[in-house]
Amino acid sequence: MGRIELDGLTRKYGDVVAVDGIDLDIADGEFLVLLGPSGCGKSTLLRLVAGLIPPTGGRVLLDGEDITHAAPARRDLAMVFQSYALYPHLTVARNIGFPLRAARLPRAQVRRRVAEVADLLELGALLDRRPRELSGGQRQRVAVGRAIIRDPRAFLMDEPLSNLDARLRQSTRAQFRTLHERLGTTVLYVTHDQVEALSLATRIAMLDGGRLEQVGTPTEIFDQPASVFVAGFLGSPPMNLLPARLENLDGRVRVRADGIEADLRPGEPDGSVEGVEARDVVFGVRPEHLRLTDGTGRAGTPVLRGVVRAVENLGAEEVAQCAVGGETVQFRGARPLGLAPGQPVQLATAPDHIHLFDRGSGRRLVWRPHPARTAPATPRA
Amino acid sequence: MTGTFVEVAAVPRPRAVVTAQRPALARRAVRALPPYLFLLPAVGALVVWTYRPLGAALNLSFFSWNLLPTTPKEYVGLDNYRRLIDLPELRNALWLTVAMTGALLLFTVVLPTVVALWTSALGGRGRAVYGALIFAPVLVPPVAGAALWQWMLDPRSGAVDRVLGHPINWIHEVRPAQIAIVVITGWHLLGFAVLVVAAGLSGIDDEYRAAALLDRASRWQITRWIVLPLLSPTLVFLALMTILMSGQLTFPLIDTLTQGGPDSQTTNVYYLLWEYGFQNFDTGFASAAGLLFFAAFGLVALALIRLSDRLTFHDS
Repeated sequence: MGRIELDGLTRKYGDVVAVDGIDLDIADGEFLVLLGPSGCGKSTLLRLVAGLIPPTGGRVLLDGEDITHAAPARRDLAMVFQSYALYPHLTVARNIGFPLRAARLPRAQVRRRVAEVADLLELGALLDRRPRELSGGQRQRVAVGRAIIRDPRAFLMDEPLSNLDARLRQSTRAQFRTLHERLGTTVLYVTHDQVEALSLATRIAMLDGGRLEQVGTPTEIFDQPASVFVAGFLGSPPMNLLPARLENLDGRVRVRADGIEADLRPGEPDGSVEGVEARDVVFGVRPEHLRLTDGTGRAGTPVLRGVVRAVENLGAEEVAQCAVGGETVQFRGARPLGLAPGQPVQLATAPDHIHLFDRGSGRRLVWRPHPARTAPATPRA
Repeated sequence: MTGTFVEVAAVPRPRAVVTAQRPALARRAVRALPPYLFLLPAVGALVVWTYRPLGAALNLSFFSWNLLPTTPKEYVGLDNYRRLIDLPELRNALWLTVAMTGALLLFTVVLPTVVALWTSALGGRGRAVYGALIFAPVLVPPVAGAALWQWMLDPRSGAVDRVLGHPINWIHEVRPAQIAIVVITGWHLLGFAVLVVAAGLSGIDDEYRAAALLDRASRWQITRWIVLPLLSPTLVFLALMTILMSGQLTFPLIDTLTQGGPDSQTTNVYYLLWEYGFQNFDTGFASAAGLLFFAAFGLVALALIRLSDRLTFHDS
């Protein structure tokens, strides 16, 4: 078992709040990724769970037992450090076997378990080497080996792939996924890399300034970002976010800004609504959800008009930077886009792909039909 | 339509390579000069104060001379060395030097490690106060310290005997005199050694301790398996310093307290050398002894540096 509950967990350094009242329930067997930019408190949060630093408020529960003030050794958690923290004077075999040796297991048993783990991680040939004789990827596997040899209740991983090159990161990600499927142990994983988070996690917890911004599956986080921060963090390039005005025009909901005109059709089929109040919003659309149009499409189709500033070649795709109103909009599509700097463009998107956020709070706006209305309605935008 | 497949041309390589002309020799010499100029003062001091006297000592060791400018030096070849090796006092002094150095290691390696490990757990001000207290004796000049200890070791009326409640003639009995020399030297060095060990401890990445804690190692296991091995280069350095310096460090105490007595039982090799050179004025003989010790300590140092290199683990 390995259910971790965080209950109002807080850590302050003087006046600085590094971790600010985090409530999180991590189910047994879950792969939860703490995602956020550097300085968002994700590593501090992990160290609070590990017991390496004491919290200034709140509780940590492991399988219902309060371990807030338990020593790290009594928590039955294993951790993979960003630096790997391999003991430099010990061989690979001794590094991997360290937790068992500390538990005073018989020598023969330690050797057998080390051999099993080394086999699993393809480290068999390296057992007599010291950490400094290993490559980055091998060190990383030794660190993982030291964590999994003990069969802990949960793994804590602090940016374990950040010191690897791009290719190795990709193959190691796949290994992590297989390993998690095989062991079924709870994983709490810290990263600032959205690709790692999206590809590994069963759930992602997005952190900003020590607070939770959104918790959800990778699909939820990517498709329905709960705030401007989440929307602007994920995607490459991230979502286009532009200030706009939401208006009720002749019974239709319309978003307008300089160079943007988009009819939303909440409560289809006729799309006519009443009582929507005009307000300042942030209009969001992902670069890959834009397409070129000649402006002859159906009336009311969301359209952005601008001028191409630059085109970036990504190999399989191209990204065009376009000036729309006073803002820059990125548009991503299969190469060649057939665009050149200075060329005027019209970009269309589907109403489904439009995200709206409140200008003041930055929180996502969702469509809720009035309870009186009986027409079936799907929440939109 | 007809056609054929043609290979893409390789990136062309230059046919004639033009090598840039090297600047003139004088110009290169001027450019290369600054580092040597920076080294010059240090090298100069080394030559004047260390290598030149060493050369002079080597020269003197082949002569018999009583240090008087009016007496001519007499060439004796290797006689001084032969006499030295046959000297019974030398064996005694050597053995005493080894024993004293061994006992001093307790104060410069073992105790400092224990103290530093204990105090490393202390935080903030407590640690600073503790460190200052333990470092204070380092600041007491050796001869002043020796004078103070002489009063405190006075039989019967001295502070030490009064605290012990048992009269011991510290300076005129063999074993107490030897113990006094070692303990007082150790008291002088302890603070410095603690400082060195503390610096060594702070050089060990905290992540290892954190990792070991999560690997469920006990405090003792972490000390034994992680901290001490990673600290070993520091400890070897301290041992090296102790072995190489113990002769010089105990010298002022021996000279002030016991003058090598009783019955030459506190005469280490340096004191012996000094007695021959500056009391018996047998300059050639003392020079030969000095060179012999120089060579012997050089070999010991070399062995320990080798050991230290093997114990150093480079962090990733």
